[in-house]
Amino acid sequence: MIAHVAASDEDRGRVVLHLQSGLPNPVALDAAVRIARAFGSGVEALFIEDEQLIDCAAYGFLRELSFSGRRRGAVSPAGIAHDLRLAAQGAHRQVELLASAADVPLQVRVMRDEPLRALAIACAESGPWNVVAFAEPFDDRAGGLLKQMLQEIAGTTGVVMAGPKARRAVGPIVVAVEDVQQLSGMLMVAQRLAALDSAEIVLLLIAPDEERLAWMEGEARLALEDREGVQIRCADLARGEAAAVAETLRRMHGGFVICQFGGLVVPEDGKLAALASVLECPLFLVR
Amino acid sequence: MFFKRSQQDGPAPVVDGEVTTVAARPQPLDASELRRVVAPSTLGFKTTDELQPITGLIGQDRALKAIQFGANIKSHDFNMFVLGPPASGKTTAVRSHLGPRAAQSPAPSDWVYVYNFETPNQPKALRLPHGRARALAKGMVAAIDELRNVLPAVFESEEYRTRRRAIDEQFRSTNDEAFQALSAKAQSQNIAILRTPNGFTMAPMHEGKVVKPEVFNALPEAMRRDVEMKIDALQKEMQTILERLPKSDKKRRSDLSELNEEVAKRAVGDALDDLEASFRDVPDAAAYVLAAGYDMVRNVGLFLPTGEEENAIVKQSVDSAHDPRFRRYMVNPMVSADASAPAGAPIVEEINPTYGNLIGRVEHFAQMGTLVTDFLLVKPGALHKANGGYLLLDARRLLLSPFAWEALKRAIKAREVRIEQPIETAGFISTQTLDPEPIPLDVKVVLFGDRELYYLLAAHDPDFTRLFKVQADFDDTIARSTENDLGYARLIASIVKEHSLKPVDAAGVARLIDEGARLADDREKLSIEIGRLADLVREADYWSSEANRKVTGKQDVERAIEEQIRRSDRLREKAQEVVNRGLVLVDTEGSSVGQINGLSVMQLGSLAFGRPSRITARVRLGSGRVTDIEREAKLGGPLHSKGVMILWGFLAGRYALDVPLALAATLVFEQSYGGVDGDSASSAELYALLSALSGVPIKQSLAVTGSVNQLGEVQAIGGVNEKIEGFFDICRARGLTEKQGVLIPKSNVQHLMLRQDVVDAVRNGQFAVYPVSTIDEGIEILTGVKAGERNSDGRFPAGTINRLVEDKLRSFAERGRSFARSANGVAAAGKENS
Repeated sequence: MIAHVAASDEDRGRVVLHLQSGLPNPVALDAAVRIARAFGSGVEALFIEDEQLIDCAAYGFLRELSFSGRRRGAVSPAGIAHDLRLAAQGAHRQVELLASAADVPLQVRVMRDEPLRALAIACAESGPWNVVAFAEPFDDRAGGLLKQMLQEIAGTTGVVMAGPKARRAVGPIVVAVEDVQQLSGMLMVAQRLAALDSAEIVLLLIAPDEERLAWMEGEARLALEDREGVQIRCADLARGEAAAVAETLRRMHGGFVICQFGGLVVPEDGKLAALASVLECPLFLVR
Repeated sequence: MFFKRSQQDGPAPVVDGEVTTVAARPQPLDASELRRVVAPSTLGFKTTDELQPITGLIGQDRALKAIQFGANIKSHDFNMFVLGPPASGKTTAVRSHLGPRAAQSPAPSDWVYVYNFETPNQPKALRLPHGRARALAKGMVAAIDELRNVLPAVFESEEYRTRRRAIDEQFRSTNDEAFQALSAKAQSQNIAILRTPNGFTMAPMHEGKVVKPEVFNALPEAMRRDVEMKIDALQKEMQTILERLPKSDKKRRSDLSELNEEVAKRAVGDALDDLEASFRDVPDAAAYVLAAGYDMVRNVGLFLPTGEEENAIVKQSVDSAHDPRFRRYMVNPMVSADASAPAGAPIVEEINPTYGNLIGRVEHFAQMGTLVTDFLLVKPGALHKANGGYLLLDARRLLLSPFAWEALKRAIKAREVRIEQPIETAGFISTQTLDPEPIPLDVKVVLFGDRELYYLLAAHDPDFTRLFKVQADFDDTIARSTENDLGYARLIASIVKEHSLKPVDAAGVARLIDEGARLADDREKLSIEIGRLADLVREADYWSSEANRKVTGKQDVERAIEEQIRRSDRLREKAQEVVNRGLVLVDTEGSSVGQINGLSVMQLGSLAFGRPSRITARVRLGSGRVTDIEREAKLGGPLHSKGVMILWGFLAGRYALDVPLALAATLVFEQSYGGVDGDSASSAELYALLSALSGVPIKQSLAVTGSVNQLGEVQAIGGVNEKIEGFFDICRARGLTEKQGVLIPKSNVQHLMLRQDVVDAVRNGQFAVYPVSTIDEGIEILTGVKAGERNSDGRFPAGTINRLVEDKLRSFAERGRSFARSANGVAAAGKENS
């Protein structure tokens, strides 16, 4: 497994930042820019206008209900397009500010399509070494989308997401290790990110029993060799629940959590409720 | 020596033409009468080492009793004003008098300002028992320190998180589940819920994709209507869910607040319990601690780490006392005594009594270009520090500080210290600032100042006499007596001790006592200007050290006096030089009609010196007027003018009772280009007038000082020593002729403390000082001609000064009358002719 983002001098690959509304999560934007900085890459701020919304607007009888539920009105294709354009401008402006401050190359782009397909196209055009970053906070239903995305978008090496409680992208880099085979790839990402702020790296070894944990610790120490600034901790997973893992991660007050898709932290069944309710930093999922 | 002069100057009385000379004129003073000296042997000690230094003052019983009265009387308006010359030891005396009394008085309360949780811009003042303010302040800091550690841990605890999660889950279950159920229902009906930039919309769906409008429109109408109805129903359902969200979120927040409050309350209670218990005997303080605890519970977020703190690379805890988040829980000790300090009332002296230093001030600091403040920036003034005790202030400095005097009176009258910006009290601004609760005031104010200031205040400020009812009047001098001479010696001993000087021997002390009399301008008194005396003793000590002496002696004191004079002597030398070089005309030999040497004193700083001036008088027939040229030229002061007018009264009363005073006379201070005031030259002016009228010349070897009344009595004047010495210096510079001398009022003899060289010259018959009590005595000495008294026929004897003057005035009157007659005749003839 590798988690790679192409550097600026490589022709292909960058951080593809998926924007969908005018109010993106600032921590998610910050995370995207930090990853680009860490890998010496650029950011492609991709605002996707959901094609289905335009289709809906063509229905004469459909009504739009405001977020508060207090306003209900007719929609039109032109109106929706106008609103989407304004949202795209707002989102792009926020990204521009961050990228400019971090001196990270930025491309902005608007695509009108079905979201996954638009992402796939963008990644295919600039891939294969892309990291997809979601600007909208993930919720407990995001797991299904993740699975689909990782299956359908071949050009991505990792996904970055921030939950609704996210409030920082600075601090120790926590690597949640469930499979030591993936340790070296995750460690590489962690080292890149840690180098930005001289942050420390903490390996959180997660296993269903102590014997397995002990073995993993040995393997991890072998993999680390004489690298300095890396701590190893073992998760107490007697109950083995996702909620317990999520709480453990929260208490580590990390700046980033790096983990794999399809384990206890981010299960393949797509249930991210526990993580969404506690995690205060972005999540870097490696494929 | 005196006889020598008499033999030379005393010819037998003869009638010489029109005048009668006298042989027995008033006698000059003996040298022993010119200076009172202390014999060192009478002091009874060898050096000041043998003396017990004096702690209080000598000869100030009246003032000390007034201070005692002022200190004892318990009333807010019986404050004291201590009058007296500068550097007379007033402050030391008051301090030494108040000290023991203050030490026995109960210790005053401590005062602190604390945050007012109800009205933040009005800090609360708390009264605490003596020495407990610091304990409260430290206790609050300690509680904050503890809570900074405990509260984050409590809010990270498993128990708290579990309960919080339960609340969150409750919220989620009532909303998210409803939303999910709606999504599932919509999905089952093939309706898609889509998020737009501004909200949500719904659309028909087929196999997970929104149906294109053109496909939908191709469907049968019944099916289309069915979909529309489903969407409409689902949207209404969604609307209900969305509208319910704020309410349930409010409930969630309320539940969370309750949880937070409950959790925080326990921790805050634990942190503050001990402090509250230790101040249970001070209800206000205990109530404050409880109020602070309640506020901490409501603002528990202050104690939880912020994102920045969590992310800090190096976590460094900030001292709670300096952390801006916790300022409101700090205590500002305005008056805080050390609990271990000796009890007693404070005696505070404020040497710079500005408004702020007196009343206290609200300070500000700049923040983002704005000046901000809070209750911790309220600073105490001298009134706070002296509360319960005594406040000593210099009246002149107080009056020179804008707003300070009025503020002090306000505080005394209201019996409270209210901190306001001076500009606020004037009502010029209405910007909201701090309005600290006033602190009750119980202080005895002692003002120090000179007499002029006291009487000015008493005359012009009606509040003054109402609030400062005790007047402690320090005398400038004390009477000479054996006892006081010895007291003076002990005072010198205390100066020696205080400044760690070498001891002064008896001769040195005697010389200092002599100088004390000279400073008092009165040989029967001693000056008690402690400051000047101390300066002299220290300078004498310096010259003693220069001469490698281990004891300061008389020669060192004399050297110090000489050097003091020399350092400030330039103008005196200049004044003497212009006389000696003949630029200013002053004769010291020969005789002249209508011309006399008057004497004046110039005061330049601490140096005073006498200066002779020529006074001349001219007379002629006139309408009865003595013209004071000084006044006409606006150089004469009111006292001088008054003296000249008295001359008119004397002349009219003595010589022109039955004839008109047909005289026109002019009087002038020759070569005087500055102002002239005082009446000490009025006798000299009268002598000049009498000389001019009688035509009898005045001896220029003599100079005159003294004022005169209408009856011709010579009255005392000031600065007699300097005046005599001023003329003596001129005479000595020109050569003493044994005929030179000064006429002084007899009543001034008691003030004579002349320089030793003057005394020596008198002793050797080279100079004379004549005491005179009447103008007649004086004119006889000045002219050598008898003044004369009226005979039984009412006339003065022929040849006397008075007869000559009277005759001259009568001739003026006659001539005036005949002149008027002839003038009237000419006028009448003119009328007839016309």
